[in-house]
Amino acid sequence: MIEIQGLTKEYDGRRVVDALSFEVRPGVVTGFLGPNGAGKSTTMRLVLGLDRPTAGQALVNGRPYAQLTEPLRQVGALLDAHALHGGRTAQGHLRWLAASNGLPARRVGEVLAQVGLADVAGRRIRGFSLGMRQRLGVAAALLGDPPVLLLDEPVNGLDPEGIRWIRTLLRELATEGRAVLVSSHLMTEMALTADHLVVIGRGRLLADAATSEFIDRHGRTRVRVRAVDAAKLAALLGGPGHGLDAVEAEGGAWEVTGAEPERIAALAAANGVVLYEIAVQQDSLEEAFMRMTADSVEYRAEAAA
Amino acid sequence: MSAVPQAFRAERIKLTTLRSLWVTPLLSVLLTVGATAAVGAALGDKDRNLTDDPGVGVFYGLNFGQAAMVAFGVLLIGQEFNTRMIDVSRTAVPRLGRLYGAKLALAALIGLGAGAVGTAGAYAGYAATVPADWHGPAFARAATAGVLYPAFLVVFCLGVTALFGNLTAAMGLLTPTVFLLSPLLGGVPGLREVFQFLPDRAGQYALHYADDPHLVYGHWTGLAIMALWTALAAYGGLRAMQRRTK
Repeated sequence: MIEIQGLTKEYDGRRVVDALSFEVRPGVVTGFLGPNGAGKSTTMRLVLGLDRPTAGQALVNGRPYAQLTEPLRQVGALLDAHALHGGRTAQGHLRWLAASNGLPARRVGEVLAQVGLADVAGRRIRGFSLGMRQRLGVAAALLGDPPVLLLDEPVNGLDPEGIRWIRTLLRELATEGRAVLVSSHLMTEMALTADHLVVIGRGRLLADAATSEFIDRHGRTRVRVRAVDAAKLAALLGGPGHGLDAVEAEGGAWEVTGAEPERIAALAAANGVVLYEIAVQQDSLEEAFMRMTADSVEYRAEAAA
Repeated sequence: MSAVPQAFRAERIKLTTLRSLWVTPLLSVLLTVGATAAVGAALGDKDRNLTDDPGVGVFYGLNFGQAAMVAFGVLLIGQEFNTRMIDVSRTAVPRLGRLYGAKLALAALIGLGAGAVGTAGAYAGYAATVPADWHGPAFARAATAGVLYPAFLVVFCLGVTALFGNLTAAMGLLTPTVFLLSPLLGGVPGLREVFQFLPDRAGQYALHYADDPHLVYGHWTGLAIMALWTALAAYGGLRAMQRRTK
């Protein structure tokens, strides 16, 4: 598992990661969410010992990464699918990695088959699509059969089939008891893949909760209504005095936020408005996320201006 | 298997799995031997000697061969910086000293190998084409320098590249320095007093049989000066990489 404790990172006085604390537990896919520049990649680099924290620490299986012997047997990481030399073959790239941690050479063929690259094992990486590079990066992460996996935006550049593949793979890896941390900006994808979410913005922890709990807490419930007489509905909901937060949607429908459907139905009945649609809609993870990180986004827009 | 041989084995496989990398030392040997033999064959009969100094004649080809050795030293670590593969290497071998040490060891070994084969080949090529006596008392020293010079050069270039953390910058500094500045200005009075201390100038003096009155140091000292540069560059490269780990 990964334990992040008070992790802080400053670059030239600018705080990129700010007193971050969370855990990545075994048997669970933990989604790591945040707007671009929130500090996700920096956090992952700190976990892997590629950068030094200004304060706090990140422990992998109880120890700092730099102290692990044969680290690929304990943590598999995919940071940047482009960080390889295009002149090597897929097989060649994995062979040196395997040798660096004393892993048996047969693992190279095994992981290439596992990610579906067995047919192109002997081809130079230069000719690989981004999706193939991502698969190769995942193969590299799996090489040491590690109990902890750390993947930065692994679905980038994957086609729909590839996305489904990685979703299934991540779920399987977690089912096998591994701790899986996966960052993404694709919320809908995370909603399907992650059991747990860690959300950061401006380097700070915004949420650390089960995915369903996160949506419940931060996602709003809206009631969508449609009436036989659209004008009457508009007059009712558009007018003052009912105390509801209602906005007109397309096609004469209205959306009411923060009210029970019973109350809306009663209000309509009392005013002689006949409703033919009344539906409760839950915010998607994306909407919950957008609202939650709105502050950080605004901050960045200001900073850029 | 313990961590140090593992790191070295990984570096060895990195070398053998990348053609643009492993061809450079081969090319260096080919140029070192080939250029000496070709010039010897072209001039040997007519002019008897390309130069009065058998060392200059034997190692004529090294002027070309060293270009490939510079490229080898720069590429060995520079291509990892420029592709950012260095991050992958560092997650595989988190101890920077171990990773860098394995690279240095491989560079030195390949340099020595290329030096040995190149020197033997250059002597054979020279002896076959130029009817001059290359045996002289300086033979042992020049031959030793012929083996060590490429090894020092490769490690020096690797160190400088690590210092910059950038392939292009290292190539941009080393290529004009070694191939233009040092040989052209090394002979200009007023400048040679300084330029004679450049690593390649100093190291090449040990390849010569004759004494050069313009140099303030001896043949062996020249090789030692180059060794010092090499050690400094290797150490500086490590420190720079440690410092860049922010």
